[in-house]
Amino acid sequence: MSDQHIHSAYDRDLEAIQAMIMKMGGQVEAAIRDSVTALESRDEELARKVRAGDRSIDELEYLINEEVARIIALRAPTAVDLRLVLSILKICGNLERCGDFAKNIAKRSTIIMASPRVEGASATIRRMARQTELMLKDALDAYIQRDTDLATAVIERDLDVDQLYNTMFRELLTHMMEDPRHITPCMHLHFIAKNIERIGDRVTNIAEQTIYMVTGEMPEEMREKADTTATEQV
Amino acid sequence: MNDMRLLERDVDAKDIKIAARKVQVYYADTHAIKDVDVDIEDKTVTAFIGPSGCGKSTFLRCLNRMNDTIDICRVEGDIRIDGEDIYDAKVDPVQLRAKVGMVFQKPNPFPKSIYDNIAYGPRIHGLARSKADLDDIVEKSLRRGAIWDEVKDRLHAPGTGLSGGQQQRLCIARAVATEPEVLLMDEPCSALDPIATSQVEELIDELRQEFSVVIVTHSMQQAARVSQKTAFFHLGNLVEYGETGQIFTTPQDPRTESYITGRIG
Repeated sequence: MSDQHIHSAYDRDLEAIQAMIMKMGGQVEAAIRDSVTALESRDEELARKVRAGDRSIDELEYLINEEVARIIALRAPTAVDLRLVLSILKICGNLERCGDFAKNIAKRSTIIMASPRVEGASATIRRMARQTELMLKDALDAYIQRDTDLATAVIERDLDVDQLYNTMFRELLTHMMEDPRHITPCMHLHFIAKNIERIGDRVTNIAEQTIYMVTGEMPEEMREKADTTATEQV
Repeated sequence: MNDMRLLERDVDAKDIKIAARKVQVYYADTHAIKDVDVDIEDKTVTAFIGPSGCGKSTFLRCLNRMNDTIDICRVEGDIRIDGEDIYDAKVDPVQLRAKVGMVFQKPNPFPKSIYDNIAYGPRIHGLARSKADLDDIVEKSLRRGAIWDEVKDRLHAPGTGLSGGQQQRLCIARAVATEPEVLLMDEPCSALDPIATSQVEELIDELRQEFSVVIVTHSMQQAARVSQKTAFFHLGNLVEYGETGQIFTTPQDPRTESYITGRIG
């Protein structure tokens, strides 16, 4: 199949929304990275920047939604084009949520900065954040390259994030039991860890959209939920 | 899933109305239809789509032996309606065409009154025993053609005096007057404006309750709107045949995909 439409303006429209989603993805990646860096290095200015930057992510979401609606109305996309447009819409929604999680991390890190350091916690948070940020990068690469193998690998990697979260959950419980002064920062750290775990789930959704766009089918639910903190007694 | 939309699509296994096997059509030396196998379901709208010259109209015309009228045209293979071979020597093509009605691209009312346009077929096929009978058939057919209210006060005015959209609905009413079982439509809306097109499409959807409708269309949106099954023809081959929703979301053949998404094939 040729890649090009007879109407070249249609190709330009589809390329434009993909470029917008990549731009949005780049901003979300940076927001995740910066929010955790701000936490670790106690950089209040960087945390403020992440919070302010969420507006730009939200604006991109709005623009992409508008553009998708326009393409559906004017071009009546079908088959692979329809799946492309639908996947853009879903990815856009998932990215926007990831942006919100990053913003929330930044907010909480500002509060944590006023409390004593909790030993070891920030290293685990950094690993989790690094992992999800890489997953997001790969999920977006898989999308733009139509690479279902890479997308599948991203989905599988969410397991690691879930396991890191479980570890974190136990660590934080221990800290809180040891010293009640740790409760406030640990509660916030826990929410931060949960936010990152949720980002991992959203990135998984994005990877699933790549598989849907390429094959026309949603992948089977192949991974078990590895976040066991909601079902197990600790 | 039992959501409403899926129920409405109603693509459960239906009876096969027309079964075609290994159909070949030649125009002199040109091989226009190549080895087409297709099962067309009863009480279903089936759309034939494909680029110009792909054979979709040729194949449509095989279904009521309209190709018999073209000297250089030769049809091979097996086409059965309700199990009966329509190319059998015993089949009278005129009777066949009463059973398999046809509507063309351009509305072609007879240069007669609206009433006579409808009454012509039932008269020659002896479907009416009395004048009252014939009046009933005319009214019923015009109602099925969704044009009764517009013409009931001028049944004896010439059919050619109607607007294009009305003429096309008159032709549909004329085609259904002989109580056909299958209705073939070759680009029935290409000469109509969007409003008249919508009216004809609505009518096609209603006719589906009673007949098997096969429509050839260049408008993919029309195929998507009116049909339950879609067949894509390309260079004389039937490339893909399936449920319309599936064809327009996840076509299996790259040629179908190229065509329906408007790419250079």
